[in-house]
Amino acid sequence: MSGNTWRQRLAGLRQRLRPQRRLRLQRSGIVVILGVFSLGLATLNTGNNLLYLLVGALLGLITLSGWVSERALTGIHIARRSPFGVTAGQPVRIEYRVSNRKRRLPTAGLELRDAELRRGEVRVRPEIVEPAFLSLVPAGEHALAAEVITVPRRGLYRFERLQLATTYPFGMFTKERDVRVPGTMVVWPRTDRPVPRVRAAAGRRASHQPAAARFVPGVERGEYRGLRSYRPGDDPRDIHWRSTARRGEPIVREYDRDPGDSIWIVLDLAAPDEASGEVAVELAASLAADASGRGERFGFAAGGVSLPPPAGGGSHLDAVLDLLARVELGPGHALHLPARPGECLLVTAGSAGGEDFAAVVRPGTGAAARADKP
Amino acid sequence: MIPSPGTFLHRRLTTLLALIAVLAFVSGAGFTAPALIPAAALLLLGLVWNPPDRLRRRLELFWRALALLLALRAGYQALFVPTDLVLPMVDLLLLLVVAETFRAQDAAGEARLYALTFALLIAAAAYRPGALFGASFVAYLAVLTVTLMVGQLNRQARLRQLPQPRLPARFLAQSAALSAVALAVSVVVFLAFPRVSWGARAAPVSRTVTGFADRVSLLGHGSRIYPNPELVLRVEFPSGAAPPASERYWRGRSYDRFDGWTWSRTAARAHRMIETRQWPAERTEQLVYQATLRDANVLFGLSPLLDVRPRSRILPYREPNGDFTYGGSAEPVYTAVSVRGQPGAEALRSAAAAAAAGREEARGLAATAGVPAALRSYLRLPPLEPRVYALADSLAAAHANSYDRTIAVRDWLRDNLAYTLDLPATVAEASLDHFLFERRAGHCEYFSTAMAVLLRAVGIPARNVNGFLGGEWNEFGDFLAVTQNQAHSWVEVWFPSYGWVRFDPTPASVGALAAAAATPWWSSPGFLFADLEHRWSKWVLDYGLEDQGQLLRQLSEPFRPAEGAADAPAAVSWWRVVIAAMVLLLLAAALRSRASRTSDRPPSGAASRAYLRLRRAYARAGFPRQGPALTFLRQLELAQAPGMDAAGRAVRLYAQVRFGGKQLDVAGKRRLREDVLGVERLLRASRSRAPEVPR
Repeated sequence: MSGNTWRQRLAGLRQRLRPQRRLRLQRSGIVVILGVFSLGLATLNTGNNLLYLLVGALLGLITLSGWVSERALTGIHIARRSPFGVTAGQPVRIEYRVSNRKRRLPTAGLELRDAELRRGEVRVRPEIVEPAFLSLVPAGEHALAAEVITVPRRGLYRFERLQLATTYPFGMFTKERDVRVPGTMVVWPRTDRPVPRVRAAAGRRASHQPAAARFVPGVERGEYRGLRSYRPGDDPRDIHWRSTARRGEPIVREYDRDPGDSIWIVLDLAAPDEASGEVAVELAASLAADASGRGERFGFAAGGVSLPPPAGGGSHLDAVLDLLARVELGPGHALHLPARPGECLLVTAGSAGGEDFAAVVRPGTGAAARADKP
Repeated sequence: MIPSPGTFLHRRLTTLLALIAVLAFVSGAGFTAPALIPAAALLLLGLVWNPPDRLRRRLELFWRALALLLALRAGYQALFVPTDLVLPMVDLLLLLVVAETFRAQDAAGEARLYALTFALLIAAAAYRPGALFGASFVAYLAVLTVTLMVGQLNRQARLRQLPQPRLPARFLAQSAALSAVALAVSVVVFLAFPRVSWGARAAPVSRTVTGFADRVSLLGHGSRIYPNPELVLRVEFPSGAAPPASERYWRGRSYDRFDGWTWSRTAARAHRMIETRQWPAERTEQLVYQATLRDANVLFGLSPLLDVRPRSRILPYREPNGDFTYGGSAEPVYTAVSVRGQPGAEALRSAAAAAAAGREEARGLAATAGVPAALRSYLRLPPLEPRVYALADSLAAAHANSYDRTIAVRDWLRDNLAYTLDLPATVAEASLDHFLFERRAGHCEYFSTAMAVLLRAVGIPARNVNGFLGGEWNEFGDFLAVTQNQAHSWVEVWFPSYGWVRFDPTPASVGALAAAAATPWWSSPGFLFADLEHRWSKWVLDYGLEDQGQLLRQLSEPFRPAEGAADAPAAVSWWRVVIAAMVLLLLAAALRSRASRTSDRPPSGAASRAYLRLRRAYARAGFPRQGPALTFLRQLELAQAPGMDAAGRAVRLYAQVRFGGKQLDVAGKRRLREDVLGVERLLRASRSRAPEVPR
């Protein structure tokens, strides 16, 4: 059994043995407890009945604190609004809707933090930039709060453990409780790695053309095909305003493109090690983002999965990044090409590649490892 | 800087908290601390006024200087002045409370203010406060709960740089209501914590007594005696009704030596107080809750007092002169046993006549002949003006026996002199002969002194007695309340075969008793408060180990088998029904709470279980599983997940059962199960084909 498995089992065991409620004493709590002891000694020494009453009051406040904090953490329903378009290493804002289902008591001073995520079998602790906090949720009402976290690596994450904490009502203790609010989050790879500008072998579009010229309808985007509903990622300049006004929903123009005008970004999943493989994924993501940003059409393929046909636009880039977030690297993957090598830009951390490819980009060898082929 | 509404609310709450603590202190120590009134006024101001920052900074210097002065004063008093140290400390405490209230509040300042107000409550506890403390305590706990909650929410918001939360009135009311939990715990701790103490108990601070004092002096002058409604005795009569108003003489101290101005006690000599064989046989028991009196460790009971049995931690001591005193610093609670009624006039006259006849036989002996030696001190007189003797002789001359002479003197005093609470203007006017012959008016100590002196002047042993007369019967509490206003002096005259018999020469006492008897209970304005005070003292201030035992016995009473229960048929008693009902209610509440907690769970049933199993299987394989059933299916289609046909069938069947009301038969269940198992097999196979995930 590998060391990783043991570690996972130990983590699982620790998780199971974790108490349902955790209590951390705050400074004011220490003061109150010391006060109870001191006053208790004075009471026993003097026998003053009213001091018994005052000691009882302090103990009563501690009891009340325990009960109210327990009620603050229970009787609530939490719904998470899963974020879209999360990029590794970038702060992500996760929204929570907390409904207080209690009939009388409010939930107050509630802090929510995603203490643990799970990528596959690996438990990950995200960096909490700012936990979600709710001052007051009256009985029968709901409130919204947002936390900001950072996830360092791409992947498909499951939200595993949401930690609720409160110092309400008196700030003597912090009471914590773990809940499960199921959900997943796709974290895209980074797209900010410097990459070479690569054109397809046909290379009929000059990459040095000004951006405004490239987006002239019918010139850069092929022939006008028709109208369709707006999809996220579509260029706002393609909106057909007259039809939008008539239909009451955003309508965009659609164009045909020349298939020979596109390039395929092919990611080789066979990576010798995890680090270089991850860099290769980020390079592929950066190439896709770069191409998309320049309004170029591109296809994408990784490990036998390809996203047909080559296209441009934001939604296409989203699909590519979504696929890149999920791909699993390893040494045993075979390289599948969706088109002629001359139309493919190969991104690999392994030894694949050759002169036939339009370009080959490798991690650690500089942004312009291979110049564009003429 | 303009404070947010939340901050100002918290400031007001803390100010209110401080005011309640001040009130609690006043309930014990009164307005004895000089800083109390200015502090209360400033706190009231703080309720409505929030000083600007600039003024606050200036005030800070003032507070610091004043605090230094008060600290120096407290230190000086602690070292050089043998007085109550609590009051200077309370002055300092009050200043700190006020200063903290007017400061810009931060987390540390808030904590200091809570602690200071609580310290005021502790200081109040040292003064044995009345029932007002109880009301203040409840109010304090309620306001403290709200203040702490509001303060905590404000601090959290400040910490996160969020706007202060707007707290609705309902929230504040609920928070105040929650203090009932703390109060309940406090009461339970109070009742249940065993009253065992280490070492010495601190002696309670004595009360200022203006009514009863352990001395009788005629030296008072230049003013008048002001009323003092302070409760001194609360008396219950466990074995019967209270005696009539004319017999409510609460005997305390007796004095044998008179120096012309002041009465005192000489070394006591052993002699019996009364010859009980000759007195009425009926006895009356009184359960007395007595306030601690300054400089007087005297116990009181109806005159004549025969015995005292302690109920609190005091050690009663019967002095040879018949007075009862006690040792120990606990509040005296005791059972007093007294004779009910007095010997009749004829019996006393006969006893006095017999004694006079004996003296005739011993003619030629001194005036004290026939008087036991132990009583001689009760005949001594200071140098008096001849006109006093002349008056005594004139009053006694017409009567042959000491009883008739006693009555003559008493009646003369009642009929010829007037009662007044105004004191003589000068010391010279305070003398006894000035009272008898010039002023002819005075308070009860003048009358009792005059009678004792006049009787001694004619050879009748007499002594001055201090105590209380009367008491107000409380219908609600079934007790008699005796206040300092009812402090009184009278005379005891010694009769052979009977001992000391009470006579009261003060004219006002007759009228006062008649008025008290005729006064309806509701006409007394302090009636309800007296009842409250009595209960407060009985159940809070004087609550002790014995009361705890009694409470435990009362609580365990329902669980104890009744006598002869073994033979009697099993009877369902009311308390068993109540306990069973309470247990059932608690169970129902717990089940309901559990049901409400688990209401988010998905519905049970084969279709639901299969659907959830399917979702879990796809989730394990890394496919999305958000959204309702059909959305989930659509996501699987988009992701080209394996096993779509089987998954589609299963999900659609689930939707029909769950939302369409379709009944799932055995064949349907089997198909569903096969589909889910098929999907799981496919997913496992696809995962085993996939390369190992690098870690």
